[in-house]
Amino acid sequence: MMASWLTSIDISERWFNRLVIGVVTFGFLAVLAAGVAATQAILENERHSFWVNHTYRVEHAVSDYRALIDQAEAARRGYLLRGDAVALSSLDQSTKGVLPALADVRRLTSDNPAQASSIARMEALSRQLLTSFRRSVNFVRLDRRGDAIREFRAPETIMLVRTIHREIATIMERENRLLVDRNAAQEASLRRFFIILAGAGVLLMIVGMASIWMILRYTRDLTFSRNALRTLAANLEGAVGERTEDLQRANEEIQRFAYIVSHDLRAPLVNVMGFTAELEASTAALTKLVDRVEQAEPDELDPEARDAVRIDLPEAIGFIRTSTEKMDRLINAILRLSREGRRPLTAERIDMAALLRGIADTLHHRVAEIGAEIVVAPVLPEIASDRIAVEQIFSNLIENAVKYLTPDRPGRIEVTGRIAGARAVFDVIDNGRGIDPKDHQRIFDLFRRSGVQDQPGVGIGLAHTRTLAYRLGGTIGVESQLDAGATFRVSLPIVFTGEQRPTQ
Amino acid sequence: MNKQQPVTIIMIEDDEGHARLIEKNIRRAGISNDIQHFTDGTTALNYLYNAPDGPNHNGPALILLDLNLPDMSGTDILTRIKSEGSELKRTPVVVLTTTDDKQEIQRCYDLGCNVYITKPVNYESFADAIRQLGLFLSVIQVPDLPEA
Repeated sequence: MMASWLTSIDISERWFNRLVIGVVTFGFLAVLAAGVAATQAILENERHSFWVNHTYRVEHAVSDYRALIDQAEAARRGYLLRGDAVALSSLDQSTKGVLPALADVRRLTSDNPAQASSIARMEALSRQLLTSFRRSVNFVRLDRRGDAIREFRAPETIMLVRTIHREIATIMERENRLLVDRNAAQEASLRRFFIILAGAGVLLMIVGMASIWMILRYTRDLTFSRNALRTLAANLEGAVGERTEDLQRANEEIQRFAYIVSHDLRAPLVNVMGFTAELEASTAALTKLVDRVEQAEPDELDPEARDAVRIDLPEAIGFIRTSTEKMDRLINAILRLSREGRRPLTAERIDMAALLRGIADTLHHRVAEIGAEIVVAPVLPEIASDRIAVEQIFSNLIENAVKYLTPDRPGRIEVTGRIAGARAVFDVIDNGRGIDPKDHQRIFDLFRRSGVQDQPGVGIGLAHTRTLAYRLGGTIGVESQLDAGATFRVSLPIVFTGEQRPTQ
Repeated sequence: MNKQQPVTIIMIEDDEGHARLIEKNIRRAGISNDIQHFTDGTTALNYLYNAPDGPNHNGPALILLDLNLPDMSGTDILTRIKSEGSELKRTPVVVLTTTDDKQEIQRCYDLGCNVYITKPVNYESFADAIRQLGLFLSVIQVPDLPEA
C-alpha cells in the first residue's frame, strides 16, 4: 500500500513538474510574442506618423506656393495701380520664390505619380504666369500702362490664375484624402497596438494566475506529503520500537529458557553420575567376590558372570561417565552463555589498539611457540562500549585464529579497523586453514564446528562471540575459503547506547 | 546434639534419585538421625507446621531444602520458615540445589538460609559434600523449640 502511494506521488510529481515547465515556458513565449507584436505595432505607428507628417509638409509646401502666387498677383495689381518701388520689389520677391516653392512640392510628392503630373502642369502654368508678370512689369517700365492693364485683365491671364488655383485645390484635396487615409491607418495601428497590449496583459494575468494556482497546489501537496511523511516516520519509530521490544523479549525468553534448561538438565545428570558411582562401588564389591570365588572354588564361577563383572560392567560405566561428562560440559557452556546474556553491559571509552595489543600479548607465548605472529594495526578507532564483552569477542576471534593456523605456512594474524559512518568495523585476518563457505553460517551456531576436529573445544566460542556482538548492537561475519585463511569482520556502533530493555 | 530430643532431618527434594543419594551419603557419614523426605512443598509445609510429630509440635529439626520444587519455589518455603512470627524461625535450613546462580545464592542468604550448598555434577565431589554436611550435622547445635 505504501509502495503504491509513493508511486502515485512520484507520478503526480512528474506530471506536475512537466506542467510547471510547460506553463512557465508558454508564459514566457507569450510575453515574448506580445513584446515583438508591440514593437512591430510601435514601428508601424511610427511609419504612419511619418507619412501623416509628410502629408502635412506637402500641404504646407503647397500653401507656401499658393501664398507666393497670391502675393505675386496682389503685388502686380498694386504695381499696376501705383507703379511704386515697394510693390515692384514685393513682386520680385514673390516671383523669385514661386519656382523653388513648386520644386519643394515636387520633391515632397515625387512618390505620387498623380501629384507629379499635376505639378508638371502647374509648373508650365507658373512659368506662363511668371512670363505674364514680367510682361506687365516691362509694359509699366516702358510706360505702356494701358497694355499692362490689358495684360492683367486679359481673360488668358485670369484663366491662368484660376487654373493654377484649381490645380492647387486638386493637389490639396488629394493630400487631404491621403491624410484621412493615413490618419485612419495610424489609428488602426494604434488600436492594434492597444489590442496586443491588452492581449499580452490578459495573457500575463492568466500565466500569473496559473502559476499562483500551481504554487498553491504544490504547497498543498507538499504539506500533505510532509504530514504523511511525519505520520509515517512516527509509525516507523513505533514499529521499530515494537520490533526491538519483541526481539528483546524473545532474547530474554531464550536466556531464561537456556537457564532453566541447563538447571533442569543438570538435575538428572546428578542422578546418572551419582548412581553410576554407586554402581562402580557395587562393582568393586562384586569384583572382590568374584576374585574370592575364583581362588576358592574356580568350578563354581560362571564365566559369564566373571566377564560381566570384570569387563562389561566397567566398560558400560566408562561410557556412561564420558557421556555424562560431555553432557555436563555442554550444559555448563549453555549456562555460561545464558549468564553472559544476563550480565548488564556498561559503555566506557575503549582504546581498541591498546585492548587488542593486550590480547595479542597474552597469546604471545603460544604464538611464538608455533612461529606465528599477531600484527595489530597501530591506530584503531576508539569506541565506547562494554569492555569485557569487546575483550571477549576479540580474544575469542584471535584465539580461534591462532588455534586454526595451518602448519603449511608461517602463521600471520592481522587486526585492522576503520570507521564507517556511525560504526567501527574491525577485521581479524588470518592465513590459517580457512572455513568451507557452506559452514559460514553454522560456525556461529551453538555446538557447531567446521573442518577437521583436531582441536579441543565444544563449539561455543563463536556462538558466544555472536551473542555478545548482537548485544552490543553489532554484527559479525566471516569471509573465507578452505585453505585460504579467514577474515572475521566485527562491526560495532562507535557509541554503545545500551540495550533498551522493555520495562517489565 | 540434643540427647533428649533427637534432631529430625527434614529433606524437601523432588528428585527421588537425589534424595536417595543424599540419604546414602549422610548415612555413610555416620549420621543415624531420622530423615523425613518430602517431594513437594505443600506436604512438607503441612508436616513442618501441622503434623503432631512434626517439628512445630515435637522436637528440633534441620531442613535440607531444594529450590526447584514442582508446586512452589524453595525460596517460598524458606521465606515462610524464616518470616517474623514463624515458630520455626530458628530452625537451621540448608539449601541444597543445582543452582549456583549468584543472585539466587544472595537471595537465599538474605531470606535467612543458614547454609547454601550447590550439588556438584561430579559425583565424587557431591558425595564428599554430603558426607561433610553429615559431619557438620553431627556437631551442629540446633535450638530447642520454645515450649508449646
